[in-house]
Amino acid sequence: MERRHFLRLLTGIGLIGVLPMSLVRPALGATPSRFLITVSASGGWDPTALVDPKGNALRADGLGPVNNYPASQIKTIGKLRYAAYPDGVTPPATDSPGHLDTFFAKHYSRLRVVNGVDTQTNGHETGQRFVWSGKLEEGYPSVAALAAAPYASQPMAFISNGGYDFTASLVAPVRTAAATTFTALAYPNSQYPNDPALRSAGYFSTPTYAAVQAAREQRLTRLRVSAALPERAAQMAKLATVRDSDVPLDSLLTQLPARVSSGLKGQAEIAVAAFASGLAVSAGLNLGGFDTHGDHDEDQTAALTALLEGVDHLWTQIEQRGLQDKVTVIIGSDFGRTPFYNTADGKDHWNITSVLAMGAGITGNTLIGATDANFEALKLSASTLEPHSAGLLVTPKHIHRALRDFLGVPAELDALFPLPVEKLALFA
Amino acid sequence: MPKFSTALQQRLEALCLLFFASLLPTLAVHAASGTSLPTYVHPVLQIPRVDVEGYGAISLSLVLEDETSLRFAIASAVPAAAGLEPGATFTLSDGLLQIPTVKAGTQFYSLRLQRLPGDLFQLLAAEDVVLPGQLDYAAQCAGCHGADGLGGAVGVSLKNCVNCGSLASLESKIASTMPLGNPAACTGTCASTVAAYVLAVFNGTTSTGGGTAMAAIEELPLDATLRNAALQLLSRLPTAQEQARVAAEGEAGLRAVLDGMMTEPAFYHRLSEIFNDWLLTNRYLSTNGGEAAIQLMRRYPNARWYDPGVANRGSDYVTLRNTTNDSVAREPLELINHVVRNDLPMTQILTADYVMLNGYSAKSYGADTSIFSNEWDATEFRPVKLNGVPHAGILSSLMFLNRYPTSATNRNRARSRVVYDLFLDVDILALDGARPDGTAVDISSPAPTMENADCVKCHSLLDPVASSFQNWNLAGNFVRARSWYADMFRAGFNGTAFPSTSTQEPLQWLTQRIVQDARFDAAIVRLVYTGLMGQEPLDAPGPDATAAETEAWQAESAHLDEIQARYVAANRTLKTLVKEVVLSPYWRADTLNDAAQGVVHAATGPARLLTPEMLHRKLNALFGFEWRGSLNSYATSRNVLATARLLDSRQYYQQIYGGIDSFVITERLGDPNGLMVLVQERMANEMACYAVPNDFLTPKAERRLFSGVDITTQLNTAQERAAVRGTIQHLHAYLLGETLALDSPEIDATYQLYEAVQVEGRKRVGVSELTTLPALCQRNNDLLTGASLNSGGVDGRLRNDPNYTIRAWMAVVAYLLSDYRFLYA
Repeated sequence: MERRHFLRLLTGIGLIGVLPMSLVRPALGATPSRFLITVSASGGWDPTALVDPKGNALRADGLGPVNNYPASQIKTIGKLRYAAYPDGVTPPATDSPGHLDTFFAKHYSRLRVVNGVDTQTNGHETGQRFVWSGKLEEGYPSVAALAAAPYASQPMAFISNGGYDFTASLVAPVRTAAATTFTALAYPNSQYPNDPALRSAGYFSTPTYAAVQAAREQRLTRLRVSAALPERAAQMAKLATVRDSDVPLDSLLTQLPARVSSGLKGQAEIAVAAFASGLAVSAGLNLGGFDTHGDHDEDQTAALTALLEGVDHLWTQIEQRGLQDKVTVIIGSDFGRTPFYNTADGKDHWNITSVLAMGAGITGNTLIGATDANFEALKLSASTLEPHSAGLLVTPKHIHRALRDFLGVPAELDALFPLPVEKLALFA
Repeated sequence: MPKFSTALQQRLEALCLLFFASLLPTLAVHAASGTSLPTYVHPVLQIPRVDVEGYGAISLSLVLEDETSLRFAIASAVPAAAGLEPGATFTLSDGLLQIPTVKAGTQFYSLRLQRLPGDLFQLLAAEDVVLPGQLDYAAQCAGCHGADGLGGAVGVSLKNCVNCGSLASLESKIASTMPLGNPAACTGTCASTVAAYVLAVFNGTTSTGGGTAMAAIEELPLDATLRNAALQLLSRLPTAQEQARVAAEGEAGLRAVLDGMMTEPAFYHRLSEIFNDWLLTNRYLSTNGGEAAIQLMRRYPNARWYDPGVANRGSDYVTLRNTTNDSVAREPLELINHVVRNDLPMTQILTADYVMLNGYSAKSYGADTSIFSNEWDATEFRPVKLNGVPHAGILSSLMFLNRYPTSATNRNRARSRVVYDLFLDVDILALDGARPDGTAVDISSPAPTMENADCVKCHSLLDPVASSFQNWNLAGNFVRARSWYADMFRAGFNGTAFPSTSTQEPLQWLTQRIVQDARFDAAIVRLVYTGLMGQEPLDAPGPDATAAETEAWQAESAHLDEIQARYVAANRTLKTLVKEVVLSPYWRADTLNDAAQGVVHAATGPARLLTPEMLHRKLNALFGFEWRGSLNSYATSRNVLATARLLDSRQYYQQIYGGIDSFVITERLGDPNGLMVLVQERMANEMACYAVPNDFLTPKAERRLFSGVDITTQLNTAQERAAVRGTIQHLHAYLLGETLALDSPEIDATYQLYEAVQVEGRKRVGVSELTTLPALCQRNNDLLTGASLNSGGVDGRLRNDPNYTIRAWMAVVAYLLSDYRFLYA
């Protein structure tokens, strides 16, 4: 069970409350220069079916092949290598943006791949926590929450679609829904929010509604002043703070497609629209279906296709709004899958994974890290990032150390959740 | 603490005389409390009892005044509290204060101090002291229980330890169960000295600190407690009979009323919510896929009994499918309901040798349906023993085993971790700090999890429980394993191996041992407390904790220990636990009678933003209809789950408002964000629009809101003004639970809102506003039945508001529905 942290309790309004404002908040009116999107392939993807292909050579230990496609079919594009489709699996249509050939042909120049990342776990919860926070144990915020923390006063600073979205009280996560729902919330006094012609017809006339809102605000102030229990006063303070912050949802609505997609694509549309409208700073996107303990080739292929289609759609949205120089995308998963098949034609959990990055500030067509034929991570030289027997194993801790430096997480925030580990130029 | 040194000499006689003569009466109330053991917490040296030659005993507090010369000044000297053990001696003849053992952090010292003129003490000597049991405690216990005994993520605190019992019982407990997974490591002298160490160092306390903290809490009166309990547990208001009984019989009456409440179906809905937040087995409800649970039943040929084939499906196919699926999915939560409803001990949630089925799920499992009085009643769940399935309560549930899956390489370890987390309140991953660095651990031996000390410390706990699941396969079905892994600790628990001669299945054997472990009781108490309070109990303070943090935790944990003891004594019935929590000062906390205790009580009191489900039910309880989309088609919206604004997770607001789907979203949001306050605003506006005109259409004597006024009541006469004021008073009480005097400032404020809206609005009628109500607020049809209000020659519609009274009341109701006291428990 999760335990409350006393510090959070005492602050009442979260960790932010005990920090000097200058440490965590930018100057008034400052706008973020960079947005962050994390895409979680929940359940544990198989990098050997994506960016760290091995082929079907039989393992020396008798466990069979790593993959069900010949090594000769492994593709190379630029400096990247990517997998072929397993034998017996029907690939998606070649014009599908989720087809491996199509996806890599379109995006390899902006993709940076880190292979051979050791998550040191094969538990989903722990893996997600480590991969998205940089710490194996509990207590660290997801990097998306950390990126949004300096802009916590923005009403939708951090959009979460599930997965590991612990924020350490740095920022309130916001969950999203259908476009019509946003419209209803954008105009809470409207009887017909989804009909532009009738939208101005309110439940209350303008002067009446103003009177209600003023009375509501004054009442909350009175309650807060007279609250005897600190926790209750803190709750009221939080409520007042959130009510005071304007949520210009109508500006978000203007940025959304006429028909918001479902699944990962829809998450992408809302996140990018929220960036473009100035409401959000970071977003955690989430796609399931990767925990393929049975019938791995079929199910993993379907999940990866959906992932690549979603990422392609995300990038399209980013480009349509001209945000390609502002949005950084990090794609990862809980861990990897075994370099052999189980008796149900599935693959179980394996601690080695890959991390992909693209977008603002990322140099594409780059491959860092490596694994051996049995999908075991190879050590890297900290200076050259090339495999080196006396080097170090890259873990999510290294990834996040580098990511925080790359994103420019304020030093004071960084110090609250220290990651004492070698600095590697993984994203520079 | 630095090493002490140097020398000095003087006397203390005059000082002691002064204390006894003048300070004792006035300072008695501040008599030192806590451990008998002298402690040094920089810069204070606290000696609870100093025996002064020829004068008796005092409690002395010294403050390090000069870190260079190591001189202390007297901060206080008061009579020692009764029952404390002597911790120091002072001899008047030579002015020497001798303290055999002082605890400083996790170290112990022997100190000798000399009194100097000016009420000072000079430290003469300080020697390291090693207490019997100290080294064994540090080596074998501190990793989990903390060097300071305050516990951690794994080990419970040993401070104020109600479960420690006597020296003999603690010694026996250590010898037989500790350290976890390897009790043979501390027996005999080790067990006896560690027990003595734990009791002396961590439990020589009077607990008065906690008592002081608790005494500062002013509790809600019983009638308000009753209202909160009714809304929290049943999402309804208390009945007149319930109120009368509590008024007449006090706390005993409230306990009796709570007993009655806990027989109502609504209580079990709430109970399932609380337990699902913990188990998350509602992941398999049809809202997460029409056959989310049925898909797990591949072993059962009749699982999809409701499907006659695509070509033959009737109009009730989807209803049958969803009902069957949800009946299967709800099985573990229904087991908990069954145990609670029948006042069975909560241990049965793990030891039940049956599964809970209704007519629908029984068909899927191929079980006998003749045991049901109505096989088509989805609410009629009964215990059923499935052929060939050795049930072990929740742990053998198909839902549990799939919600927490394993793999061939994982070997049930994930399930084991969850068992520790949910049912023993032990976070394995937090054991002994960080997990070993993969590069630093030698895994070259054939079975490192059994042979490498770095691995053994976790796997000796994890693997015996994991191995106990050996006959439950990856799909969650019982399939006896042909063999089990030799390179893994065999089935067992707490250092005891599953007996090879046992006739039980290992998992059944395991559950019977788990429920005998005090940590199982603690886990249940924690769960119920968290569910009702809306927040977790305080975490044990760490080494940098302030005194206030420590005191807050001590007070709350001591109180939880008391609740746990009463729960255990009452045969572990959950209803007892619910009553104890509802009547606890923490649940009833209203205010503080000592502002100085504010720091200690920084987190005290129920602190819950109502969950979307709770808010949904509260609205229904108060208004007699739910917040649906749209309310205009309320009478024809048959599918509540698909139209309730706060229950539907996809189209509307359930997830935006912090709800969970038990699948992808598993953590509730506890604090509002920008979108959530907009949900509150829209809810308040829509509900006011429908509830106010609807109430005015109701016969006056039956109205919930406006029995004191009519739509013609304005503010023109004193009588009208009094009626409006009285109605406002009623609305504050009815909607917010606020009992206010008619001349209270809050009644004034609401009256001013009504007045401003009504008077000014009436002026605008015919000018900038219409006579008619907003279109959606007009009542042309009965809200609940949809029947026309203009039939049979009688026009009962409510469309016009010429005096702007209805709209003014709508404003008042919207104002109250968006109030903190409405939105929070």
